[in-house]
Amino acid sequence: MVEDINTIVTSMGFPSMEAFIALLIVALAVIALIAVISTIRPVLEMYPYTYPNARVRARKGRLLNDKQYTEILESQNLEEVKNYLRGIPEYAKYIDEYPLEKALDTQLAETYNLIATIAPDNSKEVFHFLLKKWDIRNIKSIIIAKEAGLNIDETMNLVVPYGELSDRLNTLIDADSIEEIINGLEGTEYAPILEDALPIYKESGVLLPIEAALDKYLLQNLLRTAATPEDDNTAYLHEYVGNMVDISNIKIILRAKVDGLKFEDIEPYMISDGYQLREWKLKDLMESEDVSGVINGLEGTDYAPLLSDSLNTYSETGSIAAFEKDLDNHINEIAKRISLKNQFGLGPMIGFLNKKEKEIKNLKTIVRGKREQDLSASFIKEMLV
Amino acid sequence: MVEVVLGTALAAIGAGLAVGMAGLGSGIGQGIAAAGSVGAVAEDEDMFARGIIFTALPETQAIYGFLIAILLLVFSGIMGAAKNLPVTAGLVAIGAGSAVGFAGLGSGMGQGITASSAVGAVVEDEDMFARGIIFTALSETQAIYGFLIAILLMVFGGIMGG
Repeated sequence: MVEDINTIVTSMGFPSMEAFIALLIVALAVIALIAVISTIRPVLEMYPYTYPNARVRARKGRLLNDKQYTEILESQNLEEVKNYLRGIPEYAKYIDEYPLEKALDTQLAETYNLIATIAPDNSKEVFHFLLKKWDIRNIKSIIIAKEAGLNIDETMNLVVPYGELSDRLNTLIDADSIEEIINGLEGTEYAPILEDALPIYKESGVLLPIEAALDKYLLQNLLRTAATPEDDNTAYLHEYVGNMVDISNIKIILRAKVDGLKFEDIEPYMISDGYQLREWKLKDLMESEDVSGVINGLEGTDYAPLLSDSLNTYSETGSIAAFEKDLDNHINEIAKRISLKNQFGLGPMIGFLNKKEKEIKNLKTIVRGKREQDLSASFIKEMLV
Repeated sequence: MVEVVLGTALAAIGAGLAVGMAGLGSGIGQGIAAAGSVGAVAEDEDMFARGIIFTALPETQAIYGFLIAILLLVFSGIMGAAKNLPVTAGLVAIGAGSAVGFAGLGSGMGQGITASSAVGAVVEDEDMFARGIIFTALSETQAIYGFLIAILLMVFGGIMGG
């Protein structure tokens, strides 16, 4: 047998058996290297997500299920709702510390904070930027409270103790005017935004320009942060944030059409460089004659098929609520799709955040419903998402 | 010191491939499973035991590789009684080492990914434990094929036995 092999090796042109074996070992080493590199690369891409995804899935498993919603809905009053939530570890620690709605918002803010902390490096920036949502929410709450003449304790009940501004909240709450709030925000990115919006607010007397300017800052920069996808994971994040931006723009345009506003009136509040809807398209949509024209103008985008079914409801009621619901459902569907398609990446985190937002929204709906004595459990249930 | 002939040196390469590649796959797989388990335990302390079970599953590939490597070292004469292994048997040893090594590489990584996913499923829903174990165990088969072929190669390739 050895002779046979030697004959084959010699006939192949190798001077000796040793030379053939040396070549064989080199070939084996190359094959091994290719096999290792090609199999390890995709696995290493998944690696940073395994820890955060396990944590997120644990929390997803503790989200309220239908049976729990039914039990909460059957509560006779707010105290019973509180008692129920005391039995859920996520909410228990905040229920006795804060008023109910603040407790729910604080739990949501804690969830965002957790995701920003455990997210892998390549998506950390986006989730960290998303935390500014709580700063912006707090600034808006404080300004609204000042306008409504609420005292310090009442204002404190509106703010959430999360975000980069948490150590400045007391100073901001103590401020006597919006100008003082802006002074208190000196050195942050929010001061120039508020300074720009202040003259319009003073002229019009409505807070919308200030609120819209802050919302625009958040979404515009969130989209910019997510705009350079490094891989599939960050591309999904870009898709999710991009759809949020487009939906915000569509909602502004629909409201503007109902209120009979012109493009110039709402332009400052729109995010000009959207995801599917670029600046020229937004201008086109605003130039439509009415709400139906806006929906028809969306032809060719993902949003047209979603909204066309609600045109009849709009014609009957004159309310754009059905469109807003369709758009919110679209974001939920995108989050669900991403969480299923990208199970070993960012999917579970995006899916969980979306579901958590829905849970808090539903709990707040129940809390408000229970506060209104006349609302039945079945009526409140219909309002849940 | 044992004087190593070419055949025995080739068997040593086979042993290195067996334990190296299988250990690489097993290590990566176990790392992925362990990272998922740590995340699960951080949220739910009761997951510790189940996390350990899922993390231990991708260990088997390294054990197969280690066993084949030891057998190769013993029967090639590197360990124990000195023996001059023919070149052809040395080539067979490389085949045996590659079989268990590469099979262990793929199987270990695959099992680690499934184990990590199963840990996530169990921490979300406790009833998923048994099904998670079954899915995770499926990736074991490739390593078993590699292990069996390595044994058969050694038995019928003149390394073990006659």
